[in-house]
Amino acid sequence: MRALVIDDSRAMRRIVSRILAEIGYETAEAADGRQALDLLEAGERFDLACIDWNMPVMNGLELVVAVRARREWRDLTMMMVTTESEHGQIVRALAAGAHEYLIKPFTPDAIRDKLELLGLVPQEEMA
Amino acid sequence: MSTLAPFMTAQIEAIAEEVFAAMVDGEPGHLVPLPAPAELTDPLYAWVDMHADVSGRALIATDVTTAHALARALLGMPDDEPVGEADLVDAFGEVANVVGGNLKALLPVQGTLTLPRVGRPVPALAGATKVDEVALSWRGLPLDITVWQI
Repeated sequence: MRALVIDDSRAMRRIVSRILAEIGYETAEAADGRQALDLLEAGERFDLACIDWNMPVMNGLELVVAVRARREWRDLTMMMVTTESEHGQIVRALAAGAHEYLIKPFTPDAIRDKLELLGLVPQEEMA
Repeated sequence: MSTLAPFMTAQIEAIAEEVFAAMVDGEPGHLVPLPAPAELTDPLYAWVDMHADVSGRALIATDVTTAHALARALLGMPDDEPVGEADLVDAFGEVANVVGGNLKALLPVQGTLTLPRVGRPVPALAGATKVDEVALSWRGLPLDITVWQI
């Protein structure tokens, strides 16, 4: 399975990518929503996108809206991974099309739990 | 005019401990409170600003060598590997971002959080008032968190 990790912090991208790799994902990274869209528009396909909210150029919510507007990307599962913990913001992200919401800081187990809820833990990892 | 009410010291400590346990150390116990701030010999600052009905700043201060160690821990680098300036700014700034974001969540009125900034000296805060200060020790190295109304 493939995941796209979108965060303006390289440190955070590395942390999330490392956890996903341990779960069994192949990962790619983007530093903002625009870079993520560029990868998708270039034909890259992912099962999961982990999306920070507060980013320059194009923020996470704008990315969720842009992805949801394209039928060809409807199978992409989007999980917000962010410090934005206000209830209203969480509702906005979910209403815009995000599937799950994880608040920083998080543990590897927290990411795994969310992926299990989404049915996105690779089968060999589940065994 | 609204004012930024003091956070409870225990809340700031709890947030910082959770951030370090989850992101930096992978386990709790490496960030502990100090009775008073220790003097920093070569300070570096990371901060985010919170803007709601009142504006505030969460500022983390530590020595440059500690910030380098923090970046190495966050990035999973060996202890003897040099940290580049971009990685230092990115990693230290992200710690401030997550601490500040969680502090913002404690505000009665939510608002926006700026992107993190890292620098020295910290820009002058004209008219700012210190609301809280928490002195911490990370792996025996001093680290302070202050919250300002700006």
